[in-house]
Amino acid sequence: MRMRLSLAVVFAFASAPCIAQTIQNPTLRRAQQAFDNLDYRQALTAGQAALRERLTGYERARAYELLGFTYSGMDSILRGVDAFKQVILLEPERDLDPTKTSSKALSAFQVALTQVLVIRQLHVDSVSFIGGQGAVAVRYTVTQPARVVTHVVSGQTSFKIDSTVASGQVNIRWPARLPSGDPLPAGDYNVIVEAAVGQNNFATSLPIRISHGAVDTLPHLTSLPGYTYLPETEVPPKSWRPLGLASVYTGAALAGTAALSNGSLGSTSLREGGVIGAGLVIAGFVMTLKNPAPQPARGNILYNQLLREQISRRNTEIAQENTRRRQEVELRVVPLPRGGGGR
Amino acid sequence: MRTERWNVGTMERLIAAVVVLLSIFPSFHLSAQHFSIGPEVAFGDYREVSSDLRYRGVGGGARATVTWKKFSADVAISKVTYKPTSTGTTTQQFDAREVDVRLRYYVSGPISAELGFINRKADPEFNAQSMGALTAGAHMGYLLGPGVHMALSGGLMFGPRFSGGGTISALGALHLGLGLTVDALRGRLRFNGDYDFQRISRKTNGAGGALPAPIQQALGRAGIAVAF
Repeated sequence: MRMRLSLAVVFAFASAPCIAQTIQNPTLRRAQQAFDNLDYRQALTAGQAALRERLTGYERARAYELLGFTYSGMDSILRGVDAFKQVILLEPERDLDPTKTSSKALSAFQVALTQVLVIRQLHVDSVSFIGGQGAVAVRYTVTQPARVVTHVVSGQTSFKIDSTVASGQVNIRWPARLPSGDPLPAGDYNVIVEAAVGQNNFATSLPIRISHGAVDTLPHLTSLPGYTYLPETEVPPKSWRPLGLASVYTGAALAGTAALSNGSLGSTSLREGGVIGAGLVIAGFVMTLKNPAPQPARGNILYNQLLREQISRRNTEIAQENTRRRQEVELRVVPLPRGGGGR
Repeated sequence: MRTERWNVGTMERLIAAVVVLLSIFPSFHLSAQHFSIGPEVAFGDYREVSSDLRYRGVGGGARATVTWKKFSADVAISKVTYKPTSTGTTTQQFDAREVDVRLRYYVSGPISAELGFINRKADPEFNAQSMGALTAGAHMGYLLGPGVHMALSGGLMFGPRFSGGGTISALGALHLGLGLTVDALRGRLRFNGDYDFQRISRKTNGAGGALPAPIQQALGRAGIAVAF
């Protein structure tokens, strides 16, 4: 029985994710040696002595784990649970291989899991989908019933993506969109899961990278193909109108003078009106020979106005289409290597 | 008699004040208005009472115009030395100093409404009638070509006062005008000419009742102005 437990511990250590790290502390090495030799008392003594020394986080977790296995082997379940609780707090992701661990140690570990609040196995699937048509799967396990809030944070920006009271495994489907419907901007983010119950709280995070595919947006129009703006003024053709009008005005003035003149004052003097009228007729004649002044071309003005409105309406449609295309961009979400553990 | 003379003098002072005001006015908002001023040559024909009192003369003057939005104003002053024609019986010439102020408001199309006053003072005062009156009428302008405007105007003169006394009926005083302006140097220089005809059916009280004493003047002016 002891041999089986010892082998189980060896295998369990071998299956630990931090296998690359080694135990440097001699006291802990001596405790491990004693445990391997099934000398539990010596293992306990040396293990507890090692905990009083300066250890790395990994060594401290191994020391508690050694104590947990030792207490479990000695049928001291409560102490084993306490030791495993320390292991879980130090390494929340720590799991024991059920095929290679004794049932006593496994049960003590399971009991320990239910007595501490940690978020374990936070996982974000690597996924690629069209914005608005898919979602990112986020999974984690919370060891105690707790209020769990999930955020995505990048710099000063933070988006809450879920808030729930849960225990056990939680699955979230996150569409990776802003409240406006736009996809989350490309960049590196942290998925942070915070659990709280009473005074206890725990948080863990997982970095992810969001990248966008190319968006094939439409360019805005400055003109419509086949349609060009027309000049808004046009020079009317030459006509005799200026001379005619000048003659009419002059004639009206002279005729008016003649008609209004008082007969008792003698013959009407048309010298003054004639001089000014002659100047006016000459000016009218010159204007008849000259190119007329450009006049507003009402038809062209209306045509240009319609063209501008059409281009503006088309650009509005293009802007809406581009917004839709940007929202339907291909989103790629990739989890990045984790930098640190929980707290 | 003294009262009539006092009225004419008051009118002149009022005219002078308006001229000064209009001269200062453009300095407020030059960018939103057009202002022009320049000298003129005036020549006219003046008749009074009968065909025997007939004068012709030449003189000088000045004209200022200002345009602001739908409003425009013309102020013309002139001094014409009228000399009796050879066919007349009189031998004494006189100077006629005239101030003509017209304020216009653009109504629609070519039409503007016109209000103003006219004051003419004869010197020596007993050789012809000095007079002052308010004017009201219409002004019809037309753009003959680039920078060339012509205008025809007409209206009534109300409440005329004469230095020698006299009255007129409601429609007894009329005026008729013809104008031409030609812009040059991109509107900086303006040649202008205008013709103004006045017919006043004045009546005086005589021993035998109301006696007709009509006044009629045809005045032509041509000049050049600098526009701002």
